[in-house]
Amino acid sequence: MSASLAVEALTLTLGAFRLNQIDFALARGEILVILGPNGAGKSVTLETIAGFHWPDSGRVLIGGSEVTALPPERRNIGFVVQNFGLFPHLTVAQNVAIARRSDRAIAAPDSTFPAHGDPAALLSYFGVAHLAKRMPAALSPGEKQRVALARALASVPDVFLFDEPFSALDADMREQLREELNTFLRALAIPAILVTHDRGDAIALADKIMVLRDGAVVQSGAATEVFRKPISSFVARFVGVENVLPGRIVETTENGISIEVGKQIVGAARGQSMPAGRPIVVSIHAEDVAVSLPEGERQKSAINRFAGRVTAMRRAGALVTIAIDCGFPLRAFLLGPQVREMGLDVGSGVAVQIAPEAVHIMAD
Amino acid sequence: MWLPPATPSYPGALYLACWFAGSVLLAFLVLPLVALALTQSGASLAGVARMVDVRDAIVLSLEAAFLSAAAAAVVGVPLAYALARTAFPGKGIVAALVDLPLAVPHTVAGIALLLVFGRQGVLGEPLQTFVGLKFWGTIAGVVVAMLFVSAPYTVNAARIGFEAVDPRLEKIARTLGLNPWRTFMRITLPLARRSIMTGVTLTYARSISEFGAVVILVYYPMTAPVKIYELFLRFGLEQSAAAAVLLLIVSLSLFVLLRTLAQRGGVPQENR
Repeated sequence: MSASLAVEALTLTLGAFRLNQIDFALARGEILVILGPNGAGKSVTLETIAGFHWPDSGRVLIGGSEVTALPPERRNIGFVVQNFGLFPHLTVAQNVAIARRSDRAIAAPDSTFPAHGDPAALLSYFGVAHLAKRMPAALSPGEKQRVALARALASVPDVFLFDEPFSALDADMREQLREELNTFLRALAIPAILVTHDRGDAIALADKIMVLRDGAVVQSGAATEVFRKPISSFVARFVGVENVLPGRIVETTENGISIEVGKQIVGAARGQSMPAGRPIVVSIHAEDVAVSLPEGERQKSAINRFAGRVTAMRRAGALVTIAIDCGFPLRAFLLGPQVREMGLDVGSGVAVQIAPEAVHIMAD
Repeated sequence: MWLPPATPSYPGALYLACWFAGSVLLAFLVLPLVALALTQSGASLAGVARMVDVRDAIVLSLEAAFLSAAAAAVVGVPLAYALARTAFPGKGIVAALVDLPLAVPHTVAGIALLLVFGRQGVLGEPLQTFVGLKFWGTIAGVVVAMLFVSAPYTVNAARIGFEAVDPRLEKIARTLGLNPWRTFMRITLPLARRSIMTGVTLTYARSISEFGAVVILVYYPMTAPVKIYELFLRFGLEQSAAAAVLLLIVSLSLFVLLRTLAQRGGVPQENR
């Protein structure tokens, strides 16, 4: 009853594709990001929740009541798609007015929001009232997103579903709209699901993350958990862990686990005991790698401190991604001014250090 | 989409060659009609326009073509939507069936229609007996003959129009509380309107110009093309040319008018 949106053991066959046992629950205001490669079943999952596919088994509950057998128009869902899906033959005002629900109009506003069923008030709230008579083709992406949100709210939704809303946008616009959406969803306290293959969306928005592959859940949980402790190299790469490296267990002691990675021995914090010789994969976030200039020989014995050489540098905004060969390939982040101060260039010698707690071990 | 400005590699020569080849075709299309129009003086046109049987024939053609275009819209647009939105085994065969009349010689179509809608036809006889609807010697027969040869234009154009409507827009409409019928009427149909109107206009134009199927299924009452053929047989080129130019003027101006109406108020296209 507490969950605002619950999906229970949802299974669906669609031609050769099969969605297998999808399970999750969202509380009011929680945002779930579904990640996965093309064809993993992300959009199908959304569309099944929206009522466009009949599941073979399983249930969908919105606000505690089962909607599995209801058609989309009776599920109270706000659906936003790539390019925002405004009706191109209708003005902004008509786009929002078409969604007006006589049966549900003027639900009790949650907070500072205008009554959800009131098209004019919604356009004002989103700062697009002056665009009411425009056609969608004349709007900027930011304006389209606001109109799309106003329109969805006009139908008084209990759940918001976003199907790759930003995928046609350039990086700057994407980031800006993402921020705006985040602010809006946090204020609204309606559960939302966002499907994407962009990990930036997940980092910016997700409370929970579900990673899909071939129609099945690979990992699902709190966003920080999935980011910090991916269960496989597939998930690690997908949530954007920069360093995913094959290794082999050397020994497990009470101080920690030693792993052979490339030509080095890397120490990880003590987790469960692992048999020596077992092949594993480690993931290390680039932001957990400390880069400094090489120092005297004395310091070399510190744990997880390796000497290396810069093999490549790539600048993105203020952040510089540095590829280092330290007996195994490693990527780290530095800020532009730091790189200048240290006088780093391709070929420079550096020292890297990784906290054992930042070394995460995965089975494959 | 951003396109690079014209550069030295701009394919000017290619476009020029295409336009040259194209103008040969355009000249071939326009020349006979211009030659025909030039044979007539205003006086001879006025003369033929005063002939009651010629006027009746043209009015009948316009009426019957209008009815057949309306009928094509009523049954063809739903078929087009079904073909655009559903997948089933044998869909290719159904699509080919729609195109079939385009491949059948129209005299053959006329004979085939006679077998179905004639006095002893499988539909002609019972419809006459029970409903009193006759397809010989009536406008109903003209409409049936026209519809058979011209319906594919409406179905195909409407289908292309429906296929161009993003199914996600329909899905969004559903989540906004519109049932499938309202979604079709408020979203899909208006977005495909231009293609549908283009198809209906083509059906109308093709119906007016139909001769072969009409002349076999219903000789009387005479449509304009049949009347012109009769004038040609009885009085020769001169008399028939005057009527022909009159029909040409009427049908072309209507075609241009309808085409303009069909293209108006299109949906503004997204810049991608």
